[in-house]
Amino acid sequence: MKRIIALSLALVMIVALAACGQKSGGADSDTLILRAETAFTTLDPANSNNTHDIILYDQVYDGLYGLDEAHGGYYNELAEEVVANEDSTQYTVTLKDGIKFANGEPVTAQDCVFTYERAFQNANMNYLVSMIDNVEAPDEKTFVINLKYPYAPIAHTLFRVKIVSEKEVTEQGDKFGTIPNTAGAGPYIIDEFDIATGCKLIANENYYEGAPDIKKVEYRVYSDPAAAVIAFENGELDFYDQAALSDWESLKAAAGDNNAMVTGNNITWLGINYASPTNNNILGNDLVRKAIFYAINKENVNLAVCEGYGRTATTYMVPEFVPTQPTEGFETYDYNVEKAKELLAQAGYPDGADIGTILTSTSANSSKSAQVVQNELAQIGLTCQVQTLDVSAVVERTIVQDYDLTVYGDSGNYDFNNIRQQVHSESVGMYIIDFTLNDKFDWERIEYLVEAGAATADMEERMTYYNELWAMIMDTATMLPLINRPVAIVWSDRIDIGDPVPTYYKIKNFSWVDSAE
Amino acid sequence: MYRYIVKRILFLIPTILGVAFIIYFVLNLTPGNPGRSILGANASQEAVDQLNEELGYNDPLLVKYVNYMKKLVLEGDFGTSYFTKQPVMNEVLPRFWVTLQLSIIGIIISTLVGVPLGMLTAVKQYSAWDYIPSILAFLLAAIPSFVLGMVLLLVFSLKLNLLPSYGLDTWDAYIMPSLCMAIPITAFNVRFTKSSMLESIRADYIDTARAKGATERTVIWKHALKNALLPVITNIGLNMGGLIMGAVVSERLFSVPGIGALIVDRINYKDEPVIIAGTIVISITFTIIMLIVDIIYAYVDPRIKAKYTRIKG
Repeated sequence: MKRIIALSLALVMIVALAACGQKSGGADSDTLILRAETAFTTLDPANSNNTHDIILYDQVYDGLYGLDEAHGGYYNELAEEVVANEDSTQYTVTLKDGIKFANGEPVTAQDCVFTYERAFQNANMNYLVSMIDNVEAPDEKTFVINLKYPYAPIAHTLFRVKIVSEKEVTEQGDKFGTIPNTAGAGPYIIDEFDIATGCKLIANENYYEGAPDIKKVEYRVYSDPAAAVIAFENGELDFYDQAALSDWESLKAAAGDNNAMVTGNNITWLGINYASPTNNNILGNDLVRKAIFYAINKENVNLAVCEGYGRTATTYMVPEFVPTQPTEGFETYDYNVEKAKELLAQAGYPDGADIGTILTSTSANSSKSAQVVQNELAQIGLTCQVQTLDVSAVVERTIVQDYDLTVYGDSGNYDFNNIRQQVHSESVGMYIIDFTLNDKFDWERIEYLVEAGAATADMEERMTYYNELWAMIMDTATMLPLINRPVAIVWSDRIDIGDPVPTYYKIKNFSWVDSAE
Repeated sequence: MYRYIVKRILFLIPTILGVAFIIYFVLNLTPGNPGRSILGANASQEAVDQLNEELGYNDPLLVKYVNYMKKLVLEGDFGTSYFTKQPVMNEVLPRFWVTLQLSIIGIIISTLVGVPLGMLTAVKQYSAWDYIPSILAFLLAAIPSFVLGMVLLLVFSLKLNLLPSYGLDTWDAYIMPSLCMAIPITAFNVRFTKSSMLESIRADYIDTARAKGATERTVIWKHALKNALLPVITNIGLNMGGLIMGAVVSERLFSVPGIGALIVDRINYKDEPVIIAGTIVISITFTIIMLIVDIIYAYVDPRIKAKYTRIKG
């Protein structure tokens, strides 16, 4: 017995000593603390498409363009000027004078060539650079992008490809992305990186706009939303975005005036596979698909997913963020349960029918939406099951059109050309509706409109193509936008965050309220 | 005794082989693939297929398993994470150490509080010393860990502002996660020790000890407790294993970078090397804990020690 007690006491001492050995601290008064929902996977901006990672990259690595979500559109970041040739097959970028990486080296056109050529080699970047044939640097300040075909909406590529220092990336070799570096030309430098707990940033004194007001920043991983809410209410977090809407009232109460519910750049849709063999291809029947669309009360989806804070959607993308998104002149399938029943009866299913399975991802937004859709359809006699899988498994299934119905979402799009991935037969990635499976739809016209819209920089011309394209797609009754989720943001009274944005905030735009701090 | 210990350590080999196979088998049954998880929805199918090929994900289950074990045995290599491209032990070991620290604190609290309280309730049966701890233990055992953790956070972090809600940067940050892990087990220990102690107190040899004129103190501490402790020790060992495996709730709630949270996170990405390595580390720990329990058994129970001595002789 004595031995057991002695052993226990020894263990207590070991653990206590180990605990004391940890660095002490917490939130320093001059450190801005932000919530990270999950750990950052890599510091290499070419190695992740995760929005969560990209937000970090946006603080550390500047691109040729920046993105201003608050006021719409892109702005010149490292680029002084971007000039397209007449048919949008070549872009010539002139770099700003005097820009330097955090390591003090000047940013040159050769670094841009190096960065883009790295992107060509990386499958993560494929969707951003697949239209580029080659890049070149005729002189230190001029960077030329040659495209394979005319492509006007290149701004997002210029924003997403973050320029890195060739010298430092080459020196770090395989370690680049796993350890802190000074290879970016952004306003902050990653000072400490722990794949488990987050990372710490310090101001880049070489930043071309001058070092930001907030000198020290820490991202802390709070996986559990409830824990993040408590941390904010307890004053342990300065900035908490993408907050759970179910906690909005208590967060607002804790934040006082420092809160914003902004429009999110995301849409959740219902997709229908018109070629599904389920129940003798019941979903191939136009009347059945239209009945499904009319039967869904999108407001109920909004209530279930966004606590009613969101809004029902009729467009493929959010018009506030996507100027090329058509906003009128297409069928919207407003909720009309009587019309849904009538269409179903006309289709030969007056007593309803089984329509298979709604395939969706395990994310709470998608799975809740799918459950509401299932419930809404039951009211007109259409029965279906809901199958939730990991998002990677859902994407694999939709690419090969192995589904009946699917609830899915996309976010962070800033040009209507993004619809290419959903509907074009040469789509890369999230391919939802394959219009080429039979002659039911004029897929050649659809694909022509997708390509024509991307080939011209003339806004009016682009809108003509996209108006026709979106109206055609809505007439097929295969894609139904459901809701647009808002983004809830709260911040402490220590800081001023400028104009709140849904996704890509810049900490360089934040400032301490009391400049003495 | 030493032969027994060596035998038990050798038993780790089939344990590791079995655990790795089960994990491979289960992950093989689930849909999705790491290539798509890593490259995302926007990557081309060709790129996804190529990455899966490079990762060896497309190999048949047995080939993957044999290759993994070969590398593990011959090179001591647990593999590279699909997700972070880091050697898995660089991620697994620091996180395991965090979980182990919390579990040890948890087990010490639950033992030092639960066992004496259980004894007290048994010795003072049908009194307030029995009713109050027993009812409390009953209630606490029924509260799920995540609810308990939330209550701790709300009270000690938000309302009283005494303890930090995040991480393990300071010594006081250990208190809430450890308590969240320890309280349900403490409650269980109270009930388990009480029933074990009651069984022991009612045994014939206790009546004999009393009849021989032994004081109540001697009866309880020398005769009843020693026998009652045997199942309690086994239970503590099992609890320790349970704490390490079930720490994920506390880890996520208190934003602690432990091994449970790591494994759960990586299941989403089908990061097989991390999941397997993490599970193997937990299995080895569990086996070692049970071995320690058996050794302690031998010291507490002279019958068992005598048995091992006879085997040796």
